[in-house]
Amino acid sequence: MTAVTQTVLESVQQFRLPDVGEGLEEATIVSWRVGVGDRVTHNQVLVEIETAKSLVELPSPFDGVVTELLAAEGETVKVGTPIISVGPEAAPPASQPEPTPSVLVGYGPAGDGGRRRRRRRPTASPAHPGLDGRVRAKPPVRKLARDLGVDLATVPATGPHGTITREDVERAAAPAPVEAPALVGAPEPDVTRIPASGVRKATAAAMVKSAFTAPHVTEFLTVDVTRSVKLVEELRAAPAYAGSKVTMLLLAARALIAAAKEFPDVNASWDDTAGEIVRHERVNLGIAAATPRGLVVPSVKDAGSLTLPQLAAAITELVQTAREGRAAPRDLTGGTITLTNIGVFGVDAGTPILNPGEAAILCLGQVRRTPWEHKGRIALRWTTQLALSFDHRLVDGELGSRVLARVGAILERPKWELMQL
Amino acid sequence: MEPVQLLSPDGTFTPDPAWPLEVTPQLCRDFYRRMVLARRFDDEALALQRQGELGLWLQSRGQEAAQVGSILALRDTDYVFPSYREQAAALCRGLTPAELLVQWRGNALSGWDPARYRFHIYTLVLAAQLPHATGYAMGVQRDGTDEIVAVYFGDGASSEGEANEAFNWAAAAGVPLLFFCQNNHWAISTPTHIQMRAPLHQRARGFGLDAHVVDGNDVLAVHAVTRAVAEQIRAGGGPALIEAVTYRMAGHSTSDDPTRYRTASELDSWQARDPIARLESLMVAQGWIDEELRAQIARESDALAEETRRVCREFGPVDMTGMFSAVLAQQSPLLAEERRRHEALVVSYAD
Amino acid sequence: MPELTLSKAINTGLRRALEDDPKVIVMGQDVGGLGGVFRVTDGLQKDFGSDRVIDTPLAEASIVGTAIGLALRGYRPICEIQFDGFVYPAFSQIVSQLAKLRARTNGLLSVPVVIRIPVGGGIGAVEHHSESNEAYFAHTAGLRVVCCSDPHDAHWMLRMAARGADPVIFYEPKRRYWSKADVAESADDARVLPLDRARVVRPGRDLTLLTYGGMVATCLEAAEIAAEEGRDLEVVDLRSLSPLDLDTITASVDRTGRCVVVHEAPTFAGLGAEVGSAVTERCFYRLEAPVLRVGGYNTPYPPAKVEDQYLPDADRVLDAVDRAFAW
Repeated sequence: MTAVTQTVLESVQQFRLPDVGEGLEEATIVSWRVGVGDRVTHNQVLVEIETAKSLVELPSPFDGVVTELLAAEGETVKVGTPIISVGPEAAPPASQPEPTPSVLVGYGPAGDGGRRRRRRRPTASPAHPGLDGRVRAKPPVRKLARDLGVDLATVPATGPHGTITREDVERAAAPAPVEAPALVGAPEPDVTRIPASGVRKATAAAMVKSAFTAPHVTEFLTVDVTRSVKLVEELRAAPAYAGSKVTMLLLAARALIAAAKEFPDVNASWDDTAGEIVRHERVNLGIAAATPRGLVVPSVKDAGSLTLPQLAAAITELVQTAREGRAAPRDLTGGTITLTNIGVFGVDAGTPILNPGEAAILCLGQVRRTPWEHKGRIALRWTTQLALSFDHRLVDGELGSRVLARVGAILERPKWELMQL
Repeated sequence: MEPVQLLSPDGTFTPDPAWPLEVTPQLCRDFYRRMVLARRFDDEALALQRQGELGLWLQSRGQEAAQVGSILALRDTDYVFPSYREQAAALCRGLTPAELLVQWRGNALSGWDPARYRFHIYTLVLAAQLPHATGYAMGVQRDGTDEIVAVYFGDGASSEGEANEAFNWAAAAGVPLLFFCQNNHWAISTPTHIQMRAPLHQRARGFGLDAHVVDGNDVLAVHAVTRAVAEQIRAGGGPALIEAVTYRMAGHSTSDDPTRYRTASELDSWQARDPIARLESLMVAQGWIDEELRAQIARESDALAEETRRVCREFGPVDMTGMFSAVLAQQSPLLAEERRRHEALVVSYAD
Repeated sequence: MPELTLSKAINTGLRRALEDDPKVIVMGQDVGGLGGVFRVTDGLQKDFGSDRVIDTPLAEASIVGTAIGLALRGYRPICEIQFDGFVYPAFSQIVSQLAKLRARTNGLLSVPVVIRIPVGGGIGAVEHHSESNEAYFAHTAGLRVVCCSDPHDAHWMLRMAARGADPVIFYEPKRRYWSKADVAESADDARVLPLDRARVVRPGRDLTLLTYGGMVATCLEAAEIAAEEGRDLEVVDLRSLSPLDLDTITASVDRTGRCVVVHEAPTFAGLGAEVGSAVTERCFYRLEAPVLRVGGYNTPYPPAKVEDQYLPDADRVLDAVDRAFAW
C-alpha cells in the first residue's frame, strides 16, 4: 500500500476525480476555486463539480502549490481522470518526476473494479477433440470413448435417437499403432508379448460381453448339400455372377436370410435396459471375416431386399474391403444376424459366440464327401454341419430349432426352396 | 407536548424541577469537547469521501447533542444498539476512527467488536435493530442484572413494522429498554409530516411505553431526560421512549443532495439552533471557557483529524479469502471448495 | 425410547434441550399453555416456566428479531413459526440479520437461533398453511437448513441444532407429525447421524431418488412398487438442505447412474435444480440419463381439494423413474 499519509508533498501529486456518489461515472467541472501557482492546504476547496446527482465541492487532499489544472471548466471528466497537479512548496525541479496518483477507493464502476487480469491458459486443452456438439452419446459412453481413445465423431451410431452406444465405441476402438512390442518389467522367458490390436481388443471385449450377458444355446444339424454344391458350380458359370465370389457361403447366407424373414423373432435384440425385445424390420446380415488384423463382422445392409446376384456381389465386396482393412465404420456395425464360415479352415463344426446385440449366429462347417443315405441307399454325398447359436433370453429352443431346420432344408433343395422365396 | 428544553438557542439556562441536572463547568466542558471532536471527525470523514478515500459517509452534523447527551447518561455497561449515524455516540464509547471508517472504506462489513464497547455494529436495514434490542433486553431481564439496553433509531425508521412490533413487544414484556429516537426531520427526502400523523412520543404512549420528547439540540436537556428515564428503567419501571427533536444539517449521505428537497432558510433556522454553539454561548456567558481550553480542544481536534486521515489512507488491501471462513461456525464443504477454487483462480492470473 | 410420533419426538427433543442447557429458550405463538398448534411444545411451559417457554405476540419479524437479541445476550432461542406461509414477515430478519451477523462481524458474533417451521402440504389445510419455502433459505449464505423425515431424526436433529453455533432453519413435515417410529435412546446409537449428513434410507442399484421431509415416505413407497417391476431404487434422505452432503449424494449416483430429485416445492429454481446441477457436475460420466425432478407445479399451492393433484405421489415419482430409464 502506497498510502499518502503526509499531506505535505515531497513530489508532484495528481488528484484524480473521485466517485462522490456511489457508482457515478463522470462529472462536469463547474468552477475552479484555485489557479496555477496558488498555495493550497488540505481540505481547502479546489473545485466545484456537478454530478448526475448534485453539485459537490472537492477538498484538497494535499498541502502544496498548484502546478497544473488538468481539466477546464465546463469539461466533463471521467471518474479516475487526474484533474489537478499539486507540488511541493519549493520550486518544482526542472524535470518533474512522474506523478504518482494517490490510491483511492471512490473510483466507481468504470475504475479499478473493472480491471481485468490476464488468466494463464492451461498448457493442454482438456477437451477431447472428438467431443463436438453433433455427437449424441450418454456421458458414460463419452467417458468410455475417452478411455479407449476413440474419436466419437467417427463412430457410427446404432443406439436409439441416433446415439452412440457402448458397443459402438468398443467396436470402433482405434487400432493400436504397429510398433515393436513394449516389454514391461522383467523379461519373461519363452513368451512373446504382442500388443493387442484395436480390433483384437474390441473383439475380446465384444466376445466377453456377449458370452457373459447372452445365455447361449447351440444346436447342430448335418445336411446333404450335394444339390447346393451343384448349384454353386452352375452359378459360377452364369454371367450375372461374374466378378463375384460364389461359394457355399452365398447359399448359406441366402438360406439364413430367408429363415430370418420367415421367423422374424430371431432377427432381434434384447434391450436389457428397457427390458424389451427389439425386433429388426430389416435383415442386416453379418459375415464374419478373418482379416490380417483379426476377426471383423461387416454386414450387408437390408440383405433381404437383394437378389441372389446382388447378394453375391455385396458379400464379395464387403469381405474384400474388410480384408484390406478398408471397411467403413458403417459396414462394421448394425448387423442383426450373422453367418460365420469355419469350413474354409477345414473343420466340421463349432459353437459360435453371438455378435453382441444379435440373437443368432449360424456357423457353416466344411463341405465334405460323406457316406449318406440317399434314396434308400448309402451314397457318398456332399454334406456339411450347421451350428446355430442363439440368445436364449429371446429365442427359445423351438424357434431356434425351426430356424436351423429351415436353413438346412433350403440348402438340401436350394433351387426348389429359393424359387419359393 | 413541548420538548423539554433547559438551554435556549441563545444559551440561556433555565432549570426544570421535573428534570434535575447539576450543571457544572466540568460537565459542560466535557460535553462541549466531545461534540466538537465529533463534528471535526465528521467533517474530516466527509472530506475523505470527497477525496475518494471513502465510498460513502453518513454525517452526524447537527445531532451531536442528542447523541452525546444521551449516551453519557447511560452506564458504560449498558448495551447500545446504534443505527448507522451514531458517530458522536460511538466516540463517547471509545471507538477509534479506524473502527468507524473501515466499513465506509469498503474494507469490512462492520468495524468493531461489539462486546468490547458494549456498542453493537451499525444496522443499515431500518428498524431491524429494534427487535434485537428488545430480545437483548429480554435476556437482561432473565439474567436479573441492573443493566439496561438502549437503541437508537430515526423518525424514518419509526414507520417500519419492526419498530412498532418492538414498541409493542417491549411494553408487553416489560423489558429494560430505552428507545431513543433522533427525529432529525428528514428520512432522506421525506419529511416527518409525511411519515406520520401522530407524533412518535404520542404513538409510543399508545403502545404502553413511557414516552418523552426533548429538544435534541440541547445537550443538557437530552442528558437530564435520558439520565432520569434510564434510571427509571433500571429501577424496573419498564421500557420507555425518548424522542429527541433535532436536525440533520447535512444530506442523508454523501450521495444525497438536500438542496433538491429543502430550503436554505430551513437550514439557516436550524443553524441558529446549533447544539455546539448553544452550549458554547452558555459557557462563554458563565466564563467556563477560555482561550487555553479552546486551544487545547483545537489541538485535540487537529490530532483527531490527522489520525483520521492517516488511518484511512493506511487501510490495506483486502481480498475475498477471509469471507469464506466467517459464514458458518463450521466451514461447509461448499465454502471450502469455493475458497480452494478462488485461490486457485487468483494464482492462475498472470499478473 | 418407545415408538413416538414425530410431533412427540420433537417435543422430547425440546425437553432434553431445555434440560441440558439453561440458556435454551422456546418461543413462538401459542407454544405455551396450548402447547403449539401441532402440540409439539405440549407441557413444556408447565415444566420450564414462562420465562423459558414464551408465548410471544403475533409478530414473526420480532419473534426472529428478539431471538437474535437473546442470542446476542448468550441465550439459545428455539423459535417456532406457526406455519410455513407465515415466515415471510420474518424474512428480512432471517436473511439480512440472522444469516449475516457472523460474516458481518468476521466471526465475532454468533447467533445460534433455531427456527422451527412446520412445512409442506398433505393435510388439507387452507392457503398459506402448506408451503415449501426451503429454497429461499437454502439460497442464503450463513444459514443451515435442515428437514427431518421421521421421528428418530426429528428428535436427534433438533437436539443437534439446539447445540450448534449456527442459525438453523428446522423444517418439520407436518403431514408426518403423527407417524410413529422408534427413536434411538442415546447419541451413541449408530442411527444418530451428524446434522449435515444425508442418509441412505433404502439401498438400491438401479436409480437414486434424492428427497427429504414428507417426500421420503413417498419415495420409499415408489421404490417398493418399482421393486415389483424389477427395478431396484435407492432412496437418499438429504436431511441437510444447506449445506448439502454431496459426498453421500455423489456416491449414490455414481453407483446407480440415474437420479431423480423429489420434493414438494415447485421445481423451478427449487432445491432440485441445485442438486441436479451439483450431481451433473460431479457424476457427469456416470449419468445414463439427465437428472430429473419431481416437485410441485409452478403454481401457488392449490386449494385443499386439489392438493392431491399438485403434490408428488408414488405415481409421479415412478413416471420420472420410467423416463430416466427410457433415456
